[in-house]
Amino acid sequence: MAILEIKQVSKFFGGLAANSDVSFSVEESSIMGLIGPNGAGKTTLFNCITGYYPPSRGEIIFNGRRLNGLDPDKVCMLGMVRTWQKVRPLAKLSVVDNVMVGALARTSSLRTARDLAMEQLRVVRMEHRADFIAGGLPIGERKKLEVARALATQPKLLLLDEVMGGLNPAESEEIIQLILDIKRRGLTQMVIEHDMKAIMRISDRIVVLTSGEKLTEGTPEEVVSNQDVIDAYLGESHA
Amino acid sequence: MYKTILKAAAGLIVLAVLLIIPRYVESPYALHMMILLFLSVSQGESWNILGGFAGQHSVGHAAYFGVGAYTTMMLMQAQQVPPWIGVWAGIALVVVVALVIGSICFRLRGPYFVLASIAVAEILRLSAINLTTLTNGAEGILVTEIPAFRLGGTVLTDFSTKVPFYYIGIFLALLTIGITYWVQHSKLGYFLQAIREDQDAAHSLGISISRYKNIALVISAVLTSLAGAFYGIYVGFVDPPTVLGLDVSVQIMLICIIGGMGTLWGPVLGALVLVPMSEALRSNMVTELLVKVGMVNAESKVGLFLKENLSHAHVLLYGILVVLVILFMPDGLMGFVKKLAQRRNREAT
Repeated sequence: MAILEIKQVSKFFGGLAANSDVSFSVEESSIMGLIGPNGAGKTTLFNCITGYYPPSRGEIIFNGRRLNGLDPDKVCMLGMVRTWQKVRPLAKLSVVDNVMVGALARTSSLRTARDLAMEQLRVVRMEHRADFIAGGLPIGERKKLEVARALATQPKLLLLDEVMGGLNPAESEEIIQLILDIKRRGLTQMVIEHDMKAIMRISDRIVVLTSGEKLTEGTPEEVVSNQDVIDAYLGESHA
Repeated sequence: MYKTILKAAAGLIVLAVLLIIPRYVESPYALHMMILLFLSVSQGESWNILGGFAGQHSVGHAAYFGVGAYTTMMLMQAQQVPPWIGVWAGIALVVVVALVIGSICFRLRGPYFVLASIAVAEILRLSAINLTTLTNGAEGILVTEIPAFRLGGTVLTDFSTKVPFYYIGIFLALLTIGITYWVQHSKLGYFLQAIREDQDAAHSLGISISRYKNIALVISAVLTSLAGAFYGIYVGFVDPPTVLGLDVSVQIMLICIIGGMGTLWGPVLGALVLVPMSEALRSNMVTELLVKVGMVNAESKVGLFLKENLSHAHVLLYGILVVLVILFMPDGLMGFVKKLAQRRNREAT
């Protein structure tokens, strides 16, 4: 069953079409990869889905509910949460307090929220950092903090915007294991990633965007052998 | 555990001393200073909830201070409504004013929010000057007699001395500290700090930005209006510049910035620094001291110059103090104290 359906979504900034007529759907408990060259409109699509921009045209259906025009906080309460490509830690708060802010979406008790937060910190293996001030974390741990904080809101669908960007191979590997781990727990994920090897390993299906339009969609094997994708990434002369 | 008990005990002792001071201290001047201190603490703590925790640096809190003061004073003068009843009308009005101001200013972020908050407070100040039938314009409102406070027929106080104001002042200071403590230790406090640190991130985590900003504003505005009402009845006089002027807004904000934004005790520290400092300058105490220790001859040119000008210099010194705090203690005195404590801990281990 599809948990998220994107139906002919377009987003215009003035005359520029950042997304045009994008349609696909994400199956429950699967991982959908979203790839494309820089400026293809991947993050814009995330912003439309999570309520930061209202789509100019089209529909976004999450769990049978139309999301168009809902604010990001409402979208989160419905069970969809995103992380940020440019990480956004609550810099002056401690690591556990950061995650607690996420947990407080579902509870009003600080004690319960703290327990939930510690649980998520264990998931990303950062429990030893709980009392560290978030602003002082290195990039790898900031990325993991983003994931823990998002998980603490108890989502059904997790949108990850380049969680491996800027990480070294060991850190990336850790994130890959984390994403697979989250999948095993039944959560649906949609992942924007530039690291092709990583996205091939984790995705069940992949959507390719170029210049705001959907180029193709399929399993990782289908996508890598698609001539259009090769052209888009390597330039037509390569073919 | 041991530390918590020690802290609680110290707090209780300070409170007990404060409560019995009026029994032994009769000097009206000393009581006046303490009352000003309590007033500043409650102003600083009130601003802290919106400015310190939610990070919305309002430079228009005179609006709430003034509305609280004016409503209570106007009702007392025109309708003989006692202030402890009039203040509720002030609170009701200030909630409406805050929600209107919030709906305008919270569309803006950062410096634009600051500018809008100044503009709205200035609109209220100009209205108070020009709506002469309602507010008596620039002449202000003078109330010389406060009705006696009775409880079941017995007169508890007739407000003829400063002592009742002293206790109301303590009550206000404790109330605002208590509410700040509650905010800090609740979901609300976490959400406000999340909004302060990163509004977009907070939004994505299920926090309704406009709802929580408005909650913070209403709490902050209501507490500020209580301080305003208290100021009005204590001084017995309000006019546009003293309760609605821009320097009122700045003063409220400075208490918190100098003490430490977003901390429980920051505004208390800020008030402890600012109130004595501005009083010492205003009352020419500094010049007198310089003369007394023989550094300056009272009749010399320098002495006369200081006597003439130093009392007006408190605004200048405020400015210098703010620059120093921003340069060397970006987290205020509270942050500075914490840093010192951390350093000492590190050296000890």
